[in-house]
Amino acid sequence: MNLGRTAGGEGGVIQALYFDGRSARGQPVLLHVDGSDLCAQAQSASPQDMPPAPLRWPLRSVVWPERTRHGQRVVQLRGGGSLQVSDATAFDAWRLAHGARESWVVRAQQNWRAALIAVLGMAVLVVAGYHWGVPALAQGVVALIPPEVDRSVGQATLAQIDSRWLSPSTLPAPRQAELKSLFAQAVKAAFPTGQTLPAPDYELHFRAADKRIGPNAFALPGGGIIITDALVELLQGHDDTLLGVMAHELGHVQHRHGMRGVVQLALVGAVTAVALGDFSTLLAGVPALLAQLAYSRDAERQSDAMAVQVLRAAGKSPAVMVLLFEQLPKARGDAVAPPIALASHPMDEERMHFFRDAAQGR
Amino acid sequence: MEMAQMTGAQTTGAHRRLALKFVGSGSEYFRIWIVNLLLTLVTLTLYYPFAKVRRLRYFYAATEVGGQPLSFHADPWKMLRGYLLVGLMLVLYGVAGKVSPTAGLLAFVIVALVWPALWHSSLRFRLANSGWRGLRFRFTGTRGGAYAALAPGFVAAAVLVGLSATMDVRPGAPDPSFTPTVMALALLPLVFMLMAPWLLWLLRRYQHRHYALASEQTQFSVPLRSFYGLALRVFGLGLLVSLVAGVMVAVLFPVFRALAGGGDPTRALSFIALLPLLVMLVLVVVFQLALRPYVTSRSQNLVWNGTRSEHISFDSQLRFWPLLRLTLKNWFFMVITLGLYFPFAAVATARMRLEAVQVLTRSDPEELLATLATHEEAAAGDAAGDLLGMDIGL
Repeated sequence: MNLGRTAGGEGGVIQALYFDGRSARGQPVLLHVDGSDLCAQAQSASPQDMPPAPLRWPLRSVVWPERTRHGQRVVQLRGGGSLQVSDATAFDAWRLAHGARESWVVRAQQNWRAALIAVLGMAVLVVAGYHWGVPALAQGVVALIPPEVDRSVGQATLAQIDSRWLSPSTLPAPRQAELKSLFAQAVKAAFPTGQTLPAPDYELHFRAADKRIGPNAFALPGGGIIITDALVELLQGHDDTLLGVMAHELGHVQHRHGMRGVVQLALVGAVTAVALGDFSTLLAGVPALLAQLAYSRDAERQSDAMAVQVLRAAGKSPAVMVLLFEQLPKARGDAVAPPIALASHPMDEERMHFFRDAAQGR
Repeated sequence: MEMAQMTGAQTTGAHRRLALKFVGSGSEYFRIWIVNLLLTLVTLTLYYPFAKVRRLRYFYAATEVGGQPLSFHADPWKMLRGYLLVGLMLVLYGVAGKVSPTAGLLAFVIVALVWPALWHSSLRFRLANSGWRGLRFRFTGTRGGAYAALAPGFVAAAVLVGLSATMDVRPGAPDPSFTPTVMALALLPLVFMLMAPWLLWLLRRYQHRHYALASEQTQFSVPLRSFYGLALRVFGLGLLVSLVAGVMVAVLFPVFRALAGGGDPTRALSFIALLPLLVMLVLVVVFQLALRPYVTSRSQNLVWNGTRSEHISFDSQLRFWPLLRLTLKNWFFMVITLGLYFPFAAVATARMRLEAVQVLTRSDPEELLATLATHEEAAAGDAAGDLLGMDIGL
């Protein structure tokens, strides 16, 4: 089997099996390069016979296999034939001796240092994609989705949670109207007509909810903002804080966080599916879920900025929001603080700082 | 009659066993995988077909049948065309569903009409670009056959899509609990479950009776009842596994409820939204770990032991317990290496699955194919240019 390396000549010869593409019988041949041709010389049947004329193919028409450490080499020839070489090491050396040039991908594939760089590159790509790529892409995709889609998704969601977790509000109608007009005035002040950015469309809904949801507010895609009766009661006498909460939810509406969440989930899922797809769809789903929780923290920060904007426009101090974070833990009672990875909200401390700083004009 | 022939062959000792050997290595595939994955992501997946060709080339070349390697020859540029076409179609399909139910229904009908043709084209492409001993494989199924094999599944899916499209789910609509449509919708999953083994059998039969090498053409002799028998055993195991999963959910539920917290705005809502996901997650983990190796091993043996051509048959003895152990090991290392173990897992799984198979021939494969192949037109000629380079896999 060492014939390939011991035989002399320009770059030597190499042992191969020639298949003509019609028969499964391989013919042992010796390969060598003659000018611009690849030649395969079959051995003669007996030592006395003249060797048959070699088979020739122009080098340019030959499809060479890529180098790998394991496995045999198959050379594709014009006309459906092929050459099979079992001594891959000898073959690769022979090819190199004939000035074979490999693509940099092949060289990288066979090089641990390049593989390590690729791992680092992947890490950079994952981190960068996670921080900027996916949110930016999601924003672009959401910009393409017509707002009617948001509205229909929002309506469907509201119908669903209404039937399971919410019931009609018990707040007196005048109180509801008072809060609605308070908020409407503040929004109008924050987005004066003629300004480049118009206020997002929204609709306030008051709902009663059981203890699991408690004092709460949330925004739906399409502009629905739900305030629970428990929250209004918790912030009794602090309409400014309530205003801030509603403005925070308006921030979710303006940035279309609901739809962005859906798109981001799909994007992260798709990328991990490309990497690990043929192994397991589940593993592809886990990073998407974790990323989603982190993205929602960023969404909270954006919405807090909106709360500050509306409160200032209404002539209130952003510091009124601090009250919310003081009141909520009491209302939460014995609920355990979630571990960091699952905490979808920035820590309350951080958010209180944000509103206090905003109050001082920082 | 076939039995008589088989026993006749065995008594004369004419059977040869060609072992399958997988010589690929995890560390080498790791380098190939990471380099190509990076390129795929950097090019926004446009590089994907090239990465796929490299992967298949490596796995084919590392698979030796009777000492001779398989080979994969597809032109990645052709596959890029197919990839873009299928990608565009799926994007349009996804968008259509968001725009309106009618558009979604229309898109579904279009995909259902085109998909069997794509599948057929993809099977021909894959086989025509696979070789052994210098011979190319062929896929001899017709396009009409692909439509026939997939039609029952699509009809059932169309009924489901059609029914849900006609159902009035807007708030304020009359209470739909007892309309016939809703009853039918509730029954459909059950119907699907009962149909599934049949649908899968149609699919596998279409594939496995149309593989060809030289003048050898495979037949598929697994009866439908074997598929139902397997489905029944999987169902039984599934019940057992669900019981275990149920206990796990019961243990985990209070933990997550505590995490949900009380009054923090939106956290409770996100918990409510996440709950079904968590239950799904637990179920999927348990099913993947326990059920998948079972299904994989049993169906590989069933399908390949029932596939034979005139002179060639297969003997697949993939065992459940070793595959389960391998799966557990793979998962463990996948998790602690954040997915970097993936190529090692893929190689180990391929090795176990392939080396469980032996090819049985009635004579020296070299002789056999050499004499028969002369009756054929050039076996390599089938990589016709009209193939779109589809390689969708099913």
